[in-house]
Amino acid sequence: MSELSIKRLDGDKLLTIVCVVVPLIALTLFFIYPMFTVFLRSITLADGSLGFENYMQTLTSSGFWRATQHSILMGFTTMVFSLVLGFIIALGLHRCAFRGKWIIRIAIIMPLLAPSLVQALGLIFLLGRNGVINRVFGLDLDIYGFWGLTIANTLYAIPQVVMIIGASLVLLDARTYEAAEIMGAKPLRQFRDLTLPAIFFALLNAAFVVFIVTITDFGNAAVIGGDYSVLATEIYTQVVGLRNFNMGAVVGIMLLLPTVVSYYIERKAMQRQQGGVSGDIQAFVPSFTPRRDIPMAAACFFIAAMILAVVAIVVYASFVKLWPYNFDFTLKHFDITIAGGYSSLWITIAISLGAAVGGTFLIFILSLGLVRLPAAISQTIQVLAAMPAAVPGIVLGLAYILTFNSTSTPLYMLYGTATLIAVINFYHYHTQAFLTVMTGFRQFPTALEEASGSLGAGLGHTAIKVIAPFVSPMLVSVFFFLFMRSMVTLSAVVFLTTPQLDVAAVTIMRLDDAGLTSQAAAFSTCVMLVVCIALGIMKLILSVQSRRTRHSSKEIAS
Amino acid sequence: MYLTVSNATKLYGSFKALNDVSISIEDSEFVCLLGPSGCGKTSLLRIIAGLTGIDKGEVLLDGKSLLNVPARQRDFGIVFQSYSLFPNMTVAENIGYGLKVRKTPADKIASRVTELLNIIKLPQAANKLPGQLSGGQQQRVALARAIAVNPRVLLLDEPLSALDAQVRSELREEILQLQRSLGIPTLMVTHDQEEALALADKIICMNQGVVVQSGTPSELYHKPATRFVADFMGTSNLISTRKIRQVMPALLSTRPAGDDDLYDACIRPESIKLQCDIDGESIVKSIGFLGNLSKIKLDSPLGDLIVEIHGAIDLKENQKVSLDISASNCVWVINDVIGSST
Repeated sequence: MSELSIKRLDGDKLLTIVCVVVPLIALTLFFIYPMFTVFLRSITLADGSLGFENYMQTLTSSGFWRATQHSILMGFTTMVFSLVLGFIIALGLHRCAFRGKWIIRIAIIMPLLAPSLVQALGLIFLLGRNGVINRVFGLDLDIYGFWGLTIANTLYAIPQVVMIIGASLVLLDARTYEAAEIMGAKPLRQFRDLTLPAIFFALLNAAFVVFIVTITDFGNAAVIGGDYSVLATEIYTQVVGLRNFNMGAVVGIMLLLPTVVSYYIERKAMQRQQGGVSGDIQAFVPSFTPRRDIPMAAACFFIAAMILAVVAIVVYASFVKLWPYNFDFTLKHFDITIAGGYSSLWITIAISLGAAVGGTFLIFILSLGLVRLPAAISQTIQVLAAMPAAVPGIVLGLAYILTFNSTSTPLYMLYGTATLIAVINFYHYHTQAFLTVMTGFRQFPTALEEASGSLGAGLGHTAIKVIAPFVSPMLVSVFFFLFMRSMVTLSAVVFLTTPQLDVAAVTIMRLDDAGLTSQAAAFSTCVMLVVCIALGIMKLILSVQSRRTRHSSKEIAS
Repeated sequence: MYLTVSNATKLYGSFKALNDVSISIEDSEFVCLLGPSGCGKTSLLRIIAGLTGIDKGEVLLDGKSLLNVPARQRDFGIVFQSYSLFPNMTVAENIGYGLKVRKTPADKIASRVTELLNIIKLPQAANKLPGQLSGGQQQRVALARAIAVNPRVLLLDEPLSALDAQVRSELREEILQLQRSLGIPTLMVTHDQEEALALADKIICMNQGVVVQSGTPSELYHKPATRFVADFMGTSNLISTRKIRQVMPALLSTRPAGDDDLYDACIRPESIKLQCDIDGESIVKSIGFLGNLSKIKLDSPLGDLIVEIHGAIDLKENQKVSLDISASNCVWVINDVIGSST
């Protein structure tokens, strides 16, 4: 072997190690360490000794119990509602034949494009003290509190239910249904004997996901919760308002419990699905059955209309003079001067770009390194990289404030900076981003890389010229995913904002707090516009990419 | 006629999947629908099963129309290529499902399931899930599930295509024995002519949405009606009328009247006799030794020919030979493959 190729070999090895170690250090510093800190903090007593007194104290405090009871009651009600309604939509989309499904699909991505407090804002315009309904019918409904929060969270959660259940519905083979049909089973019986058992775990999983998202969501609770205190707002008051860090830590750790259960269920569900599913699945193509499809379509469009309506009304309200008295067109609400004006929007865009660029890069080099490591090491790291999904945003936010607000480490420098907010946004959504890119890497033909290597290209060169173009659709998706999530997320970042540094979602909350609901709506409209533009650019890039790939593969074939 | 389909037409948009197709199945008969992919055979099976509607035509079972009878009330059994067992039910539950739907008492279901598990030689598998079985075992369970309710017709949609060669021939034998002993009228869709020859009482050969020929396996092999059937059922030498008239006019004696382009001669490789002959006009181009038989490629005045000879041969490459073909071995087939006449 020549000296040159030895050098090249060692260079590749070194690059692999750097690729894995750098993201790993970052993951340790910005995920594992904060999570460890929050745990340590929860068992550290006032005098510095360790013990479980904090838990006792928290569990016996009446404020905590009230908030917990409220959260559980509200979470459970939301879960039941969104499960029933989401299940209807999933069945409508995948098991019924009717036109206009695209409207329902748009309704489903809506909540991803807006901060989670937009549903609450919309409900206030619709049903609040100055809402259309109260004005038109001369009623005096009070939407603030349990019902308002439950409705807002249900509308926010339905799309997630639809996605989870829909994903398991498409895995069912149409032939199985045909076999049952020929064996004499009626449609209802097929539903009971085939569909329900197959999606049982998905239902269970959806239930847990909704429950967790609902009890840990901050935005809707802050806007429409009123006097109805729930865990999310209670933690915020205790930690940010009263500086009661120990209770924050205890609640943060306890909020992990339902997530652990959900994680276990999801694993179980995946194992079960792997057992039963054979290679090729014949997609179920429903034929139009009026008795089933007309009521189902009506129900689906009604639910979708509700989801769309609360978002649409926010956009509409931002353009009218004085809701709900004067519906003349105006742009005056967009002239926002208080609460920092639009500066937080520009900062949020910068933060989101930072999270997207840095995050995509770190994920790419981590995946690049991981596929070159021995399976045992690689799998351990993969489990680690997939862990952030199990931590609700509010818990991660807590962990960050406990970790970075302490002057004991140089990491304190980051506290109160936009950089830290970009970092938390990235680690909050680390898992989904990582899994997407890893899927891309698994599809990468190793022969192609070997060919490049045998032609004398080093790993660095191969990574940029051969691998990156191949996984680029995944990189593009991940980039925009991180960007869009960072634009609208609230529960993780709410702990890290300061009077000098607000993000868009927090500004909306403050505007609403100050009674400037129309300005809050205008600001929400701007955020949604930015996210929609990002989504549009992503779709454009992906379609150009896929066209180019198709074109080049056609050239190779001919 | 137990089951008949008459003048069935099925359209997918402007594409005619079936064009005026009529077939029939007698009681206890094993019928194979044979043809290349896209010939309409699966559409026909799905129409009979009631899984797909029909645009024109009639389906009769025992003289009664099935068109307004939904699939679940037809009392049929079906086996798909992809097994399609219920993944969340055990083997026993799968097999007993049809009986359960018919509200059969539990003890009767249990005894029927045990009986069927013995028939398919999987008595130990009762409590396993389909995912724990091999492909061949899953297909046996699917077969047991289909016949558990004593169906009026058994429909098999390429049941062997997903299996590997050895399992395929084993299961083929079992399906045949089962069908013969139970006497269930059976319709099997396949694209494998060997399978059809081995199993069927009657083969219905289809192409491009029409029935090209139907008859016993022997009829289809020895007396193919068209060039397509001759080609699809095994190997054949297809020669144009013009060539035959030039080289072997004696063979024209069996030819029906008609234009030159209307009929081609079909001569099976095993019905050509070869004679070593230094004055012979044909030359041996290659000899493929396949153990019990040899496959010989010839360059002859009739064009390129394939000849199969059983047992030992005394031929070498480039050797000159003369041909002996009796008129009874020359079948005249309709030239239905446009532009392929040699």
